[in-house]
Amino acid sequence: MPIAYSRKNFARFQSLIALFLLCLALSVLSDKFLSFSNLWNVMRQISVNICISVGMTLIVLTAGIDLSVGSVLALCGAITAGLLKNGIELPSQNLYIGFTVLGAILAGGLTGSALGAFNGWAITRFNVPPFVATLAMLTVARGLTMLWTGGFPISGLGDTFLFIGTGWFLGIPVPVWISIVVVALAVFLTDKTRIGRYIYAIGGNESASRLSGINVNRVKIIVYTIAGALAAVGGIMVTSRLDSAQPNAGISYELDSIAAVVIGGTSLSGGRGSILGTVQGAIIIGVLNNGLVLLNVSPFWQQVVKGLVILLAVIIDKSNGKNE
Amino acid sequence: MHYRIALFGILFGLGWIGCKTKESKDEPKKIAIVVSTLNNPWFVFLAQKAESKAKQLGYESKIFDSQNNTAQETDHFDNAIASGYDAILFNPTDADGSIVNVKNAAAAGVPVFCMDREVNANGAATSQILSDSYSGCVAIGKYFVETLNKKGKYVEILGMVGDNNTWNRSKGFHSVVDFYPGLKMVAQQSADFDRNKAMEVMESILQAHPDIDGVFCGNDAMAMGAYQALVAAGKADRVKVFGFDGAEDVVKSIRDGKIMATGMQFPEVMAQTAATFADEYFKGKRDFPGKMPVAVELVKKDNVENYAAYGEKE
Repeated sequence: MPIAYSRKNFARFQSLIALFLLCLALSVLSDKFLSFSNLWNVMRQISVNICISVGMTLIVLTAGIDLSVGSVLALCGAITAGLLKNGIELPSQNLYIGFTVLGAILAGGLTGSALGAFNGWAITRFNVPPFVATLAMLTVARGLTMLWTGGFPISGLGDTFLFIGTGWFLGIPVPVWISIVVVALAVFLTDKTRIGRYIYAIGGNESASRLSGINVNRVKIIVYTIAGALAAVGGIMVTSRLDSAQPNAGISYELDSIAAVVIGGTSLSGGRGSILGTVQGAIIIGVLNNGLVLLNVSPFWQQVVKGLVILLAVIIDKSNGKNE
Repeated sequence: MHYRIALFGILFGLGWIGCKTKESKDEPKKIAIVVSTLNNPWFVFLAQKAESKAKQLGYESKIFDSQNNTAQETDHFDNAIASGYDAILFNPTDADGSIVNVKNAAAAGVPVFCMDREVNANGAATSQILSDSYSGCVAIGKYFVETLNKKGKYVEILGMVGDNNTWNRSKGFHSVVDFYPGLKMVAQQSADFDRNKAMEVMESILQAHPDIDGVFCGNDAMAMGAYQALVAAGKADRVKVFGFDGAEDVVKSIRDGKIMATGMQFPEVMAQTAATFADEYFKGKRDFPGKMPVAVELVKKDNVENYAAYGEKE
């Protein structure tokens, strides 16, 4: 797919320029911005958004969307925390199952994958538009989170578990390692595998892909499952960072994630874009969040500025599409 | 096609059942609890205590979640009035926006008892049992000045900037602290009452201002987040953190000397008072206090033993 590739490269180039300009402006305005400790902060803060945005990119490449990531993230974090802290008790059977850190994390990851697979199944089996199916899941998963937690945070999860969100490994924060691994796997998936090519093809022209023998439904279900699993990874990271699963975690994360995808140059109509573009989009949002606080910009203005940056990115993206 | 027929059938069935159960004389009276949000443990606690008190007094009771959305709240009020609830225990989403809902209920003869947050209309609600956030934050402000010895740099982390409580708390705090020129606010940022956001905001602020002496947070979730950022930066023993609410984590942290103070609210007292007022109303009482303030108490290291989370006694 040579066309998709050349466009991908251009998108990569364009958001790098934006990122460079933003960093330049911030380092002029604040002498604290370009310090190592601050840059590590930014990287650690955006690692959750990178994870869920990678999943979102795969979905958007197939011309879909996933609004449920924030709620799924909250549910998976809460399930991991709950199992770790309380295990499962069935007084009627006189049964108690305790969970190790690994077991609890696996359970959280499986929950995310299952919800993602359910999204994909609903979308392909019943032809529900992704917007609607995942909107429903947004509410369902939030409700399940409330049921599981009773509306109260689950805190005090032990030092081993906290390592995931707060630890350092070889001089780099663990969440940053996790996001590097996720990004590397996703780049491999999109650029080197058959499923990756199918993802672009489906987003480019779904009926043509179907006619050329691609099992579109299967690819879509895989993509939504991956996104669910990555939301779980994000949820586990947030929970570990805070040493607490908050029932209201992840509210409006889907918006940050869609913003990262769009700023990164991935087209919402599918078929065009890249994982690395999204990573740059996520970094731009993270840098913007950090910079606005460093400069002590009023919270009212921050929202305006962020919105305008997203709009600007999409406008640039559109005008590029026309030129080609 | 069969689907649709079945669906209509089910809807009609439900409607019929709904009509059947409405208003027969010997049934217990019904109390609706309309609460601004269940996305925050504090309000979950408030709603649950109101529900259990209402049930204990022998009434049927149900919680409605307005999801911080005044329009949703209006729907809940319409539904509650239409389905024959006899009283509403109410935690408003918005002091002005919720007035019309309270008035509609009053016009339909359903008494409304406000809990924690008020509506800005005298006499619209039968009674308002309110947490005095402003005075509570005045007390925190005084203790803040005292602990920081009247001088130093501090940071304020606000809740949601569109929320009344955010500004009531902020104003109460500043009504004291702003009189001391030695205390300089170097950053004022919002973290939406959210623990994760507060942690991230605090991490960034610490980059710009590594030498701060104190942090005032608009609720306890944010105080915990800010404290965790301070721990990560190795500054937790130098920077003094203050919260508001009286949540479990923070009460424990005050006991351990990690967080300096919080404003303890008493959601259980408010919820139970509201339910009791509704009970008295059904039994014929009509003269209730228009506003009944429930004090917010300052909890600090030397009195924390008297408190448990949300003002509950152990």
